[in-house]
Amino acid sequence: MSSMEKETQQQRSSLLQGTLDMLILRTLLYGPAHGHQIGKHIQRTTNDFLQMQHGSLYPALHRLEKRGWVTSKWETAPDRNREFKYYRLTEKGKKQLVVEESQWKQMAEAVARVMWPAAEES
Amino acid sequence: MRWWQMRKRDADLERELRADLELEEEEQRANGVPVEEARYAALRAFGNPAVIREQTHEAWGWATMERLMQDVRYAVRQLLRAPGFTVVTVLTLALGIGATTAIFTLVYDVMLRPLPFAQADRLVAIEEKVAEWSHIYPTLPVNANHFEFWMRNNRSLEALAVMQQGSVPLGANGRPQKVGVLWATPGIFSVLQAQPALGRAFTEAEAQEGHEHVAVLMDSVWREQFGADPGIVGKTIRLNGFPSTVVGVMPRSFHMPSVQTLASIGERNHVLPIDVILPQAFTKDQLAEDMGDFNYFGLGRLRAGVSVAAAAADLDALEHTIEASLAPDEKARLSVALTPLQEMLVGSNRKPLLMLLGAVAVLLLVGCANVTNLLLARASGRRQQVAVAAALGARGAELVRMAIRETAVLAAVGGGLGIALAAAIVPMMQRYLPPALNFRGTLHLDWTGAGCALLLAVVTTLLAGAAPAFVVCRTAPQEVLHSESRLASESRGSRRVRRILVGVEVAVSVALVLLTSMLTASLIKLMHVERGFTTGRTVTALVDLPRETYPDSEHRPPFYREVLERIGRLPGVEHAAMASILPLMGDGWSDLARVSGDTRPFTQLPLESFRAVSPEYFSTIGLRVMKGNVFTSSDWGKHVALVSEKTAVTLWPGKDAVGQQFSRGGSTSTDKPFTVIGVVADARTISLAKPDPMMIYVPYWYRCEPEAGLVVRTHQDPSEMGDAIRQVIWSVDRNVPVPSVRALGGVVADSVANQRFEMDLLLLFAASALFLAGLGVYGVVMYSVVQRSREIGLRMALGAQRASVYRLVLRDGMLPVTVGVGAGVGMAFASAGLLRSLLFEVSPYDPALTAGAIVVLLAVGAGACVLPARRAAAVEPMQALRTE
Repeated sequence: MSSMEKETQQQRSSLLQGTLDMLILRTLLYGPAHGHQIGKHIQRTTNDFLQMQHGSLYPALHRLEKRGWVTSKWETAPDRNREFKYYRLTEKGKKQLVVEESQWKQMAEAVARVMWPAAEES
Repeated sequence: MRWWQMRKRDADLERELRADLELEEEEQRANGVPVEEARYAALRAFGNPAVIREQTHEAWGWATMERLMQDVRYAVRQLLRAPGFTVVTVLTLALGIGATTAIFTLVYDVMLRPLPFAQADRLVAIEEKVAEWSHIYPTLPVNANHFEFWMRNNRSLEALAVMQQGSVPLGANGRPQKVGVLWATPGIFSVLQAQPALGRAFTEAEAQEGHEHVAVLMDSVWREQFGADPGIVGKTIRLNGFPSTVVGVMPRSFHMPSVQTLASIGERNHVLPIDVILPQAFTKDQLAEDMGDFNYFGLGRLRAGVSVAAAAADLDALEHTIEASLAPDEKARLSVALTPLQEMLVGSNRKPLLMLLGAVAVLLLVGCANVTNLLLARASGRRQQVAVAAALGARGAELVRMAIRETAVLAAVGGGLGIALAAAIVPMMQRYLPPALNFRGTLHLDWTGAGCALLLAVVTTLLAGAAPAFVVCRTAPQEVLHSESRLASESRGSRRVRRILVGVEVAVSVALVLLTSMLTASLIKLMHVERGFTTGRTVTALVDLPRETYPDSEHRPPFYREVLERIGRLPGVEHAAMASILPLMGDGWSDLARVSGDTRPFTQLPLESFRAVSPEYFSTIGLRVMKGNVFTSSDWGKHVALVSEKTAVTLWPGKDAVGQQFSRGGSTSTDKPFTVIGVVADARTISLAKPDPMMIYVPYWYRCEPEAGLVVRTHQDPSEMGDAIRQVIWSVDRNVPVPSVRALGGVVADSVANQRFEMDLLLLFAASALFLAGLGVYGVVMYSVVQRSREIGLRMALGAQRASVYRLVLRDGMLPVTVGVGAGVGMAFASAGLLRSLLFEVSPYDPALTAGAIVVLLAVGAGACVLPARRAAAVEPMQALRTE
């Protein structure tokens, strides 16, 4: 990997660092999903804007599990005859999502007020 | 997260990643990517699974643990690659740590472990001091009269008791058992704050003459002799021939130290554990006696907040009151000596124990120095590796971790083995506990000991690992990497450290060898000192007569006369005698002799040790009669006596003692005076270490205690005499308990058993230290020879003779040894003052022994240099120069 490539990836992941947890929790609000599904969902919904190597989801998933915001269980996928590790949102995780969402909203509004003052006035 | 779940957790993560990666691969294929490329495409979209796993571990908080495991794995791999080094190091550490832990456990048990009594620090042993007699007895046991006075008037003690220890027959109707007894005043239970588990303690009323036939059993005798009978309380048992009521049984956790060995005039060579506690009842005469009968061990419990000194001052004031009431001819200066019980129990054992601990610590130090040496050599050999790591950006802390992880693994393994070793050694040391302290059940390695081992392992790691770590830290990568030599040479600093370490090893070893040789010489001298009596083919037996049938000195002598007559008729018996106290079995009856015409007050009379003996005593143990005659059975009832030479010279200077008369100063004036009929040689019958004080031998028909000793000398092997003696005793009276029979030679040997144990251990430590020091010298010299093989080759190519190579190596190796020997001898001489009291007729500066120790160390050092020197001399110049 060239140093240039490394750098861009680092930038992107640092951008994601704070928000990745929130995105995962939000995705799991639709119901249990395994790592691959979560990655694909985030990628698809953002129209490939957040095109991460979805391997980087796993450290985040395990961190969330350690904090008790999600639980995991090996289950057979409905469409395939194979087991995947499904993650499920806990009550604690739902509360955390609310907290992070409101924080993100405040942040986004604050940024927006700086960036587009005119739009705010109209 | 528990470490044992790590493997499982990790396998789970791997499975999860694999499942998702396969799914990605399938999707890639479904999107039309060719089969062979799908896998790579999937990996690209996914990322490197190994990196993901590591990052996830980090999220679990495993990283530290993982790094540690990695370190351990790495260290173990490195160590397995050098098995010789590893085995030597681990064994050295295990030995050092194990031996130190074992000795520490012994020292802790004896000196530091709190006694098993409530607030044991408030227990004090009480002794009396009579200034007029202090030259012979610095302290005396307590007098009953004084004790009663303290009981009524003291303000500093919460409880107070006096006691005496002995043995009596238990049971009747033939072949009774002999049990250890403590006669104590009722206060003993409050002093020790211990109450019987069954029944009750005896009362004040039961400690009055005529009511004293009650007994409190110890747990062990209750289990062993009475089958743990739960209904024992209230039953009657035969003690001393008397029917006695059992009133209580002490709890299993209650242990009583043997006070017999503590009394200043006590028996030290024959300790029977205490099985029964009986009330000590004083007679009217005993209570009236205010300047004699100093016979009881005093024990008190300080009131809360009262210091030992304050209590001593309180009792001293009472002693002054007693002084004032003494009769004019009994005037004496009285005071008390209070000693914390624990200190009293440790007694004279403190110094030898600390010495052993010091010696074993020296051994550990030498071992540690050796390990450091080996590690330093290894570190030097690895400079290249370290330099590469440093050049690649390893930080200082990481380099130190690299350097110390092997030491840590070595110390952990060595420490583990050391604990195992200590656990095996410690129970073997039980029999070497001072008798007074051997009352708390079996000795074993406990958490304190294990903690000590752990601490030692940590300290060892730091000590032994510090120098190599320092060397590593100071490695300048470019310097090492630039050096052409593949055989990286040792840095000068490391070389100096190694030589200093060898010097230290040699110094402490020479001190240890010197100490050991001095104590060994002392013991040999002690064993071969002119004792004045013989032990060959001689056996002894201790007899306890039941008091019920043998109440006094009128009833007891006929028993012994009959027994001695019958033993004398046994085949092979040369002489048979009885004595109130056998040689080296303690001191007993001290009394004052008033020479006819001497009118000095009582307390200024000379104090002598009295023995009541049968006529053949002197011939049986080969105690020479210098003048006059020995009494015979035809003197029965007469007041005749023999005195030792020292007594004769002191009491009748310049006169012939034979024919002189004296009376017992402490006895009533109606007692007939004794006539001296003979003078006996001075001997060492009380302690081998010092000559006996003035001795006076009176016939056993004058006085005979219930506990006495028989001594029999035979023509043949005395080992079969035991049974014959028992049969004779039972043929005279079936109710006398089985006497324990020991050879007199064994009694003599047992009197120095403690010194022998110390010497054995020291010999072991010294030999180990010598071996390790030799190994250390060998290691350093050998290493330097290997390092310098090119230089040596060059010298030889230039014409150096093999002899000069030998000289070169020897000079190099012997320098630290010589310096070390000098320093060690200096150290030993500087601590001579501490040593003196442990030596017997050996000077701490003894020139022969010092020279011997120096020669031994130099020989070991030279021996260790010879092998490397030979190797150096065998260097083939061409080969050495071609290497590289």
